[in-house]
Amino acid sequence: MLRFGPASGPVVIAALPLFEEANRTRAFVVTILRQLTLRGFAGALPDLPGTGESLIETEQASLSDWIAAFKSATVALRPTYDSVHVIAFRGGALVDRDGAVETRWHFSPLPGRTVIRDLGRIALAAAKEAGTHFDPASLTAPGLPVEIAGNRLNRALLAAIERAEPIASPPLRIVRLDSDPLTADRHLPGMPLWRRSDPDNDSTLAALLADDIAGWIASCGG
Amino acid sequence: MSRAHFSGVAVHIDDNEQVDATVRAVLHDVLGIDAARVAAFRSDTPLFGALPELDSMAVAGLLTELEDRLGVLIEDDEVDGEMLETFGALTRFMAGKALQ
Repeated sequence: MLRFGPASGPVVIAALPLFEEANRTRAFVVTILRQLTLRGFAGALPDLPGTGESLIETEQASLSDWIAAFKSATVALRPTYDSVHVIAFRGGALVDRDGAVETRWHFSPLPGRTVIRDLGRIALAAAKEAGTHFDPASLTAPGLPVEIAGNRLNRALLAAIERAEPIASPPLRIVRLDSDPLTADRHLPGMPLWRRSDPDNDSTLAALLADDIAGWIASCGG
Repeated sequence: MSRAHFSGVAVHIDDNEQVDATVRAVLHDVLGIDAARVAAFRSDTPLFGALPELDSMAVAGLLTELEDRLGVLIEDDEVDGEMLETFGALTRFMAGKALQ
């Protein structure tokens, strides 16, 4: 788990988007966590089982393992810090379920079925390019792991994600981009970095989001 | 006029100019193409096969982002080389979806 900032006070733990979107936004989320340290918050960025620096193979991962691992990370922070706050990005909101945390803040969250639809479309595009056949419905059917964009993914994991919805219990704040027509507590200007083929960063948006997160946590009593 | 409902919000897209502007914005945001370059795109500007930024992986992100912003659903079997051939073809396809 990457750690940022002070060793006491409030801590913000981040849940990255899922799959390829995590690679595209990791630097951006780290920028937000660094911005938060300037506003007096410690930060933590855990790697879920089968992702990042984790020693587990990606195809061994399950959604319940991810939820449990994220919860364990929040529990591990509690003795050190006064309060624990979640910031989750995109599909990361599906992993933030059981943590006993003071507040939640979600950026462009989406239901699991949309995550799976995106993956299916990526796999379909790759199959078309390779001249092979691919049925997006096969993603969540029982079978051997499926390879998408270089990752071997467990179909039971994909089926569990397809059924998952982001947590909706308060205190929860939802922020989206101006270009996103879905309802949110606030819309901010910026680009959807999770769609970029090459990882990119946006320090202006990161600073706006860090201000929003700091204001939200303060409004809930810190 | 199309009204797509997502968890309580209605998307109103009611003219070709809005569709044109949305397609340009998505080409800029998703492919990282310079805004001035996208603003100069004409109806016959070639896209798929002509823009190095637009590979098959990027097509997936481009179409999903267009769906979200225009409140439409693109079926996988509607995605072919023709709709992505030029800026005009893509805009006409999206207008056909959004202005139904």
